[in-house]
Amino acid sequence: MVYKKVLVTSTGEYLDDILKHTLDLISERKMDVIGLYVVDTSVPFLTPKKIKEMMITELKKKGREILDSMKVEFEKPGNYMINFTEMMVEGDPADEIVRIAEEENVDVIVMGTGKSVVDKHLLGSVSEKVVHSAPCTILLIRTVQDEK
Amino acid sequence: MIVTIILVISLIISLLIVIKAADLFVDNLVEIGLVFGISEIILGVTAAAIGTSLPEFGSAMLAILTGNPEVGIGCAIGANIWNIGGILGISTIFAGTILSQKEEIRRDGSMTLITALIITIFMFMFGELNLIVGIVLLSIYIIYIWILIRAQQNNVKNNKKSFVTTKKEKKKRLKKENVFWVITGLIGLAVGCRVIVYSTVTLAEIASIPEMLAGILLAFGTTAPEFFTVLTSARKGLNRLAVGTVLGSNIFNILIGLGVPSLFVVIPVEEIAIRFDGPAMIVLTFLLIVLLRRRMKLTRAEGVILLSSYIIYMGTRLYIMS
Repeated sequence: MVYKKVLVTSTGEYLDDILKHTLDLISERKMDVIGLYVVDTSVPFLTPKKIKEMMITELKKKGREILDSMKVEFEKPGNYMINFTEMMVEGDPADEIVRIAEEENVDVIVMGTGKSVVDKHLLGSVSEKVVHSAPCTILLIRTVQDEK
Repeated sequence: MIVTIILVISLIISLLIVIKAADLFVDNLVEIGLVFGISEIILGVTAAAIGTSLPEFGSAMLAILTGNPEVGIGCAIGANIWNIGGILGISTIFAGTILSQKEEIRRDGSMTLITALIITIFMFMFGELNLIVGIVLLSIYIIYIWILIRAQQNNVKNNKKSFVTTKKEKKKRLKKENVFWVITGLIGLAVGCRVIVYSTVTLAEIASIPEMLAGILLAFGTTAPEFFTVLTSARKGLNRLAVGTVLGSNIFNILIGLGVPSLFVVIPVEEIAIRFDGPAMIVLTFLLIVLLRRRMKLTRAEGVILLSSYIIYMGTRLYIMS
């Protein structure tokens, strides 16, 4: 299987690790890379509207910084074989990652995983949801640090 | 029994009405403010604080003005202790980590501690909250808002894009629907808060618990907007919003929540509030600042410490009363 299109997505945590593994996957091959940031717009019913707007604004800022970091890395002269495009969408992270992967016909999704057991129960896991419904191969980068 | 059930249901429904009415009121008031040329910076700074704290303020204000001052004071002080120990504690446990910023601790953290100290000292000195206290509290809030606006103006100057957006958004026309929703929101707030106070006082009588404790317990409901804001922000990694909401709300609850009603009536303060609740609020605020400053973040273990502190506070309070 030769990968031609990669979807890289991150919430900002361990971005360096994710980018490093993506470049390793690409190796010296010519490839389209889509950098995706999903603005998670979900809020509980009783969250004030103004606060929701503030949250979305802040998340978009954060997303912009993440996509800029991806752009800097993938557009370095040494990575001339990469055709990088970026996307920022709003919605449920897992649903949007799967949707974009389907629409763009990507061959592989690269994302982080590895929350601790406590975090998985308390926060949920986007990567687990994506694994269940992704239309393509997924490269999950283990990002959790061993707690000593 | 049926009366109790009806009161509990009406308390829950009125809390939901008040929270949604506050949201509607603030949201449309901001739109009207923009039409009249009030700076979006001023509106943004005040709307965020008022938006989440209006249910406590409305309930405390109506309780005090309708002859149940203990409920009002309990609601304001109880909300502050719950915000730190309960809301921030639970949110940190869920999110794992909440990062803090030096500027935030220095400005908002210090102001939260100063506010807690001032109100406790005033309660100790006068044994009541009177016109002088009201004027001092409101003056401090005006100074604090001025500091916030200055800080926000500096941020905008550093970000030309935001400045352009601000200018564009100023060109708005007054919409009738905004006026309608502001009035509707205000009515919802007034009616909802009145029902909340009535239900709380009557339930306190039925359960034979002091009104001040009923106010502290009421704070669980009125702080629901803070709870969801802090929890969601922490889970999404929006650390500044999470910590800022708690600190901003605590400052507002005391300076406005108790400051405004003090202008109209003399509010008697119970001995337990002076000797226990006030000091407990100071200790928890101090604990939060120490934890935030120590490693510039709150960890899950520190979240447990905060929540445990709240449980110890409530346990001790119930023990003292019994």
